[in-house]
Amino acid sequence: MPSYEALVILRQMPRQEVITTLKRTAEAIFSKGGFIRKLDNLGHRTLPFRVFEHGIIHKTGTAFNITFDSPSKVVFDLNEEYGRDVDIVRSNIFKAEEPVKIKCTLQEELQPPAYRKGVIRMLRIARKGQKEKYPLNTGLNYYPFQK
Amino acid sequence: MFLRTFLRPIIMHQNRREFLRFSSSVAEASSSESTESSIDESDLPVRMENPFRKERVQCVLCKHQISPDYKNVKLLSQFQSPFTGRIYGRHITGLCKKMQRKVEQEIVKAQKSVLMGTVTKDVQFFKDPKLFDPEKPIRPHKY
Repeated sequence: MPSYEALVILRQMPRQEVITTLKRTAEAIFSKGGFIRKLDNLGHRTLPFRVFEHGIIHKTGTAFNITFDSPSKVVFDLNEEYGRDVDIVRSNIFKAEEPVKIKCTLQEELQPPAYRKGVIRMLRIARKGQKEKYPLNTGLNYYPFQK
Repeated sequence: MFLRTFLRPIIMHQNRREFLRFSSSVAEASSSESTESSIDESDLPVRMENPFRKERVQCVLCKHQISPDYKNVKLLSQFQSPFTGRIYGRHITGLCKKMQRKVEQEIVKAQKSVLMGTVTKDVQFFKDPKLFDPEKPIRPHKY
């Protein structure tokens, strides 16, 4: 399984420069002992908000997704190197995740509070904090001694 | 109390000879009874599952086995308010706890990597089909 995914957004520039920048980002991985499994172009897009990076305000960019394997300590160096690169607007390296298989618990969550697991646990904890009440065994319904 | 109830059958088994004698006598008695009264088996109640049992409720994403991904912005933006760009809560989206958590994590990842707005929703997703109605939450609003 590939270990990391780098999402890199390159600034708006001619096609030839995009290629050279992309080569530079890829070679950074190779030089540090990693190897690339997949490279996706997510397309040229207008950014949802203006990004101020390296002294310029960026409004558009081209997104690339690089799936790669590498030793874990390389990630820090890659982040540092991509951060210094003037042509990269934003870069993020995430752990590559397989699609999740979640067992849906909505049925239990829609129960009335008294039947919900979390509420039952909370009640049990609350009961633990209370002092235990012992019967006086005096036959009287009040405490006969001075408190 | 717990020990006593569970140990009792074990203690009984220790006196095995007595136990065997007792069980054989019971078996004899039951066999003699069944021969005397003949029961028409078609009249007996049939064991079956409750036909009126309701189906298990599942959230939208679990039902269709969709796992949210930060690159799939079109899906994630459906859980975003068009007015403020904020993520709708579980009482509105109707997702299960784990899936809601996953969706929120992925939206934050997408926002970090400038694929999705933090205070805006992309205009091209405004006419997407609605998965839920924010005006009619499952549980009442906090406000």
